[in-house]
Amino acid sequence: MSLTVAQASDRRGDAAFNRSAARQLGLFGLATLIGLAALMWGLNLLASLTATAGGAPPAVDAANNAITVMLAEEPPQLDSTRATDQVSGLVLGHVMEGLLRYDQRGELAPGVAEHWRIDETGATFRLRADARWSDGQPITAHDFVFAWRLGLDPANASQYAFILYPIKNGEAVNQGRLPLTELGARAVDARTLEVAFERPIAFFDKLTAFATYLPVREDFYRAAEGRYGAGADQLLYSGPFAITSWVHGQSLQLDRNPHYWDQARVRLDRISVGYITSDPNTRLNLFKDEKIVMTGLTAENLNSALEQRWRIHRFMDGSIFYLEFNHREGRPTRNLNFRKALALAQDSGELVYKVTKAPGYLPGESLFPRFLDGVHGKFRDEHPARVRQMDLRAARAHLRQARQELGLDEFPPLVLLAGDNPVSNVQTEYFQAVFKRNLGLDIKIDRQIFKQRLAKMTAGDFDLVLAGWGPDYNDPLTFGDLFASWNLNNRGRYASAAYDRQVRIAQGAMDAPTRMAAFAEMQRIIHEDVVIIPNYERGVAYVTHPRVKGIVRRVVGADTDYTYAWIDP
Amino acid sequence: MTEAAFTADDFQPAAAAHSAQAASRPSLSYWQDAWIRLKANRRALSSLYLVIGLLLFTLIGPLIWTVDPSLQDLEQISQPPGADRNAVVVAPHSPWNGVARQPLGGGLGLAEPPTTQSVRLAWEPLPDAAGYRLYRNLFPYEPGQPLGLPLFATFNADRRHFEDRLDLKPRTYHYSVAGLDAQGEVTGAVRSLEVAVARVVTAQDAQDIGLVADAGQLSPGDRIKLRAHPLGTDYLGRDLLARLMAGARVSLFIGIAAPLLFIAFGVIYGAAAGFLGGLADQALMRFSDFVVALPFLLFMILLRVASGVQPGESGITPMVLAMVLLSWPAAARLVRGQILQIREEGYVSAARLLGGSAPYLVLRHMIPNTLGVILVTMTFAVPTAIFTEAFLSFIGMGVAPPTPSWGSMCNEGIKTMLTTPHELIFPALFISVTVLAFNLLGDGLRDALDARMRSAE
Repeated sequence: MSLTVAQASDRRGDAAFNRSAARQLGLFGLATLIGLAALMWGLNLLASLTATAGGAPPAVDAANNAITVMLAEEPPQLDSTRATDQVSGLVLGHVMEGLLRYDQRGELAPGVAEHWRIDETGATFRLRADARWSDGQPITAHDFVFAWRLGLDPANASQYAFILYPIKNGEAVNQGRLPLTELGARAVDARTLEVAFERPIAFFDKLTAFATYLPVREDFYRAAEGRYGAGADQLLYSGPFAITSWVHGQSLQLDRNPHYWDQARVRLDRISVGYITSDPNTRLNLFKDEKIVMTGLTAENLNSALEQRWRIHRFMDGSIFYLEFNHREGRPTRNLNFRKALALAQDSGELVYKVTKAPGYLPGESLFPRFLDGVHGKFRDEHPARVRQMDLRAARAHLRQARQELGLDEFPPLVLLAGDNPVSNVQTEYFQAVFKRNLGLDIKIDRQIFKQRLAKMTAGDFDLVLAGWGPDYNDPLTFGDLFASWNLNNRGRYASAAYDRQVRIAQGAMDAPTRMAAFAEMQRIIHEDVVIIPNYERGVAYVTHPRVKGIVRRVVGADTDYTYAWIDP
Repeated sequence: MTEAAFTADDFQPAAAAHSAQAASRPSLSYWQDAWIRLKANRRALSSLYLVIGLLLFTLIGPLIWTVDPSLQDLEQISQPPGADRNAVVVAPHSPWNGVARQPLGGGLGLAEPPTTQSVRLAWEPLPDAAGYRLYRNLFPYEPGQPLGLPLFATFNADRRHFEDRLDLKPRTYHYSVAGLDAQGEVTGAVRSLEVAVARVVTAQDAQDIGLVADAGQLSPGDRIKLRAHPLGTDYLGRDLLARLMAGARVSLFIGIAAPLLFIAFGVIYGAAAGFLGGLADQALMRFSDFVVALPFLLFMILLRVASGVQPGESGITPMVLAMVLLSWPAAARLVRGQILQIREEGYVSAARLLGGSAPYLVLRHMIPNTLGVILVTMTFAVPTAIFTEAFLSFIGMGVAPPTPSWGSMCNEGIKTMLTTPHELIFPALFISVTVLAFNLLGDGLRDALDARMRSAE
C-alpha cells in the first residue's frame, strides 16, 4: 500500500519535474534564439562597418566624381616597351600618352606632339611645351628616343620590337648587328624629334599611338633598377590619369594626373579598378549590384539582361580568334594535308552560333577582320575571303594523304593549348569531340592561365593553340605581318618566302592599291597554306550604367577608354 | 520410521535434462549478430539499399543506357529533362543572298519559314533611314523600352535583309528593325515582328548523333524525334544521365580505392605501433602526427606538379596517391588504440604463454578484434574521399576533359546555374545523396558492430 502511494507520488513528482524541465528547456531555447539573433545583428553591424571603411566603392560615386570598373585580368607589368596584352594596353591607354592618340571618334589626334610632318624618308615631331610627366618634369624628345632604343634593345627582348622596325636601322639594332645609338631617331632639341625611316611607310602616324612608341624617361627607368612598370611607384605617367595604388591581384586606383597637359578633356577625377575577375556571373552580379559601370554579356546571362530590360549595346572589337598550328619541325601539324584535313572537318558557323553562342561573335573567315579599310571601302568587301565549307569526305582524303606522307600508322594525340576561360573551355571540348568524330583524332586539352599560355606558345609547346589577335594600329598590316617569319608573335613559327615577300611589299609601298593587293595575296596564302583555322571575329554585347556617359569602345587603341567618360548629373 | 524401498531402477543414471540445457535459439557469430542489428536499423538499411543502387547505377547502368557520355548532340544543347523532341528534317545550311522566297508583310517580314537553323528577315525601307539596326528580344516591342539584343547594324540604306542564326531555340522571338540617321542615332521608326521558331535538324546531324544509320534515309520535310535525354543535356548537348554514370565510375573508384589503400596501410602501421609499444610506438605515432599536420590541398597540388601530369591526362593517380599519403594516420591511431587495449587481454597473454609468435598474435587475435572499428572507419572514409574528389575536380585539379566526374560536372553546371539549373542540380544531388548514404550506413554499422554501444543498450 505504502509502496503504491510512494509510486503515485513519484509519478506526480515526475510530472511536475517534466513540466519544470519543459519550462526550463523552453526558456533556454528562447534565450538561445535571442542570443543568436543578437549575435547575427552584431556581426552584420561589424560587416557593414568594415564595408564602409575599406570595402569597394559603388559603381558611380558622384560626390568624388569617381567610377569603378573591373578588369578581366591583371596586367602582368606596365613597362610599355614590353607590354603585349590587351589589359596592359587598356591601362596604359589611361595613364600614358604618346606622340599621337585616338580621340573619342576613333580618329588620330595630337598627343604629346603638337604638330608633325611625315614624308617618304622620315618624320619630324614638335613636342608641346606643356606636356609633362606626373612628377612635373617636361616630356622631351629624348624620352622617346630612349624608349624606342629600349624597345629594340636585344637585352630587353620585347615581343613588340618589330613594330619599331619602320625606324631606320630598327631591325638591325634589334638583331644586335648595330649598336643602339645607330637607331634612326634623334632628339634635335628637347622639343624636336626627328625620325628617319628604313623604307617609305604609309602609316607611321598611326603607329606612334601604339604602346611600344610611348615615352620612357631614362633617369627614372635606371632608378627603378629593372623593376620599371612593376608597381604604382615604379612608373612615371604621361597620360590623363596616374596609378596611385596597385594592390597586385586585387585592385588599381587611377587618379587624375594634375600635370597632364589637356585637363579640359578629362572629366572624371578617379577610376577605381575594384575587381579583377574573368568570371561572367560575378561580373554580371557586380553590375546588377551597381558595383561596376560596365560589363560584357555572355550567352548564359544574355537572357537575364533582356529580362532586366537593360539597354544592350554591341560592338565588334576587331579581334580575330583562330586555331593556330605549330609549324615547327617534328610536329604533325607541319604537314599541309594534315592541316587541310583539320580545317575541312570543322565549321566555324556551328562553333559560333551553336556552341559558344556568344552574342556579337561572327564566324571567322579570314585573318583580316571586317573593320579594316581597303582602297575605297572596306578591305573585306573589296577582297572577299575564300571560305572552306565543311567537307568530311575531302577531310578524310587529306588525312589519309598526310598519314602516308608522314609515314605514320596512327597520329599521336595532339595537344591543344588554350586559355582557361569559359569560352575557350567550351571551344576546346567542342574541337576535341569534332576532330574525334570526324577524323578519329585524339586531342589533349592543355588549359593554362594567360601568362602560362603565352610562355608555352613562345616555347612552341603545343600542336594546336587557340590564339587571338587584336589590332595595334588601323592598317591591315597589323594582322598581315603576324605570320612573317621574323615576327616573334608568330608562335607557330610559320615561315614562307612568298608570304614574307608580300609583307615586305605591304611594309614598303606607299600607295593603297599595291598594299591592298599584297594583303589580298596574304589572305590567299593563309587560306591555301592553312596557316590558321579562323574561328571567329569577336563582338561584344555589353551593358553600361545609365548615368555614365561617354564610355568609348574602340577597335584600335585602348579598349575600353574611360578618359572621355563623365557622370550624368 | 518407514522402510526405504529401493529398486534397481533407482540406481540408473538420470536421463540428461535436455529441455533445460538446450539452446533455444541458434548460436550467433559476431557478424550474424551485427547483421541482425543492422537490419533492425531502418535508416542504415535504406542507406545500404541506396549504396547498392548506386553501385548498380555505376556498373550495370551503362549496359542499359548505352549512350556515349562524350557524344555532343548540338541540336539539344542545355535541354532540361522532358523537353519536346519533335523536329523536321531540313537541307544543310547554305549562304543566303537576301532574296525573299515568300512575300513580306508590311515593314519587317520573314523571307522563309523560321527554323532553329536560321531566321531570314527582310524589311521595307523606313522613312528617313540612312541605315538600320536589327534587334531580337524575348518580349514584344513597347515604345520607350529597350529593343533587345542588337544583332546587326548597317549604314547602307539598301541593305535590308539579315539572317539570324545565333542560338535559336524553338520559341517565340520578337524582332525589331530601327532606322538610323547618318550619325548612327535611332530615328524612332521601328518595325516589329513576332516569330515562332520551329525545331529542325539536318540529315547529317541526325546521322552524327546516331538517329539514323545513313543520312540518305532522310529527306527534307521528314518528321523525326530527336534523341531522348531523361535528365536533359549539358552545355555541349551531352547526355546528362550517361555523364552521371561515367562520372560515378570516377567518383566511386576514388571513393573506394583510396580508403581501401589508406586504411590498409593505417591498420598495418597502427598495429605495428601498438604491438611494439615503447620507443618504436612513440616514433611511429609522432611521425603520423607530422603527416596530419601537412596541408592537404597544397600537398595535392605539389604532388600533381611533381608527378608530371601531362596536359590532357587525368590526375586520378596522383589524387589517389595524395589521399593515401595524407589520410592514413586517422586509421593508424584508431587501430593502435585498440591494439594497446587488446594486448593486455587475458586471451592474448594465454596465446603468448602457449608460444604464439608475434605475427600470429597480431593476425589471429588482435586485428580480427579491431575489424569492426576498421569497417566503420572505412565506411566513413568513403564519403570523405568522394567529396574530396568532387572538390578537387570542381577546382579543376581532377579529371581531364572529356572524362566527366561529378565535381567537374558541378563546375560546368554552375556557370549556367541561373538559366539551366538542371546541369548543376543533378550532379550535386548525386554527390549529396551518395555522401549521405555512406554516412548513414557508417552510423548504422558502428551501432551494430561496436561492443560498447551494445552493452549500453
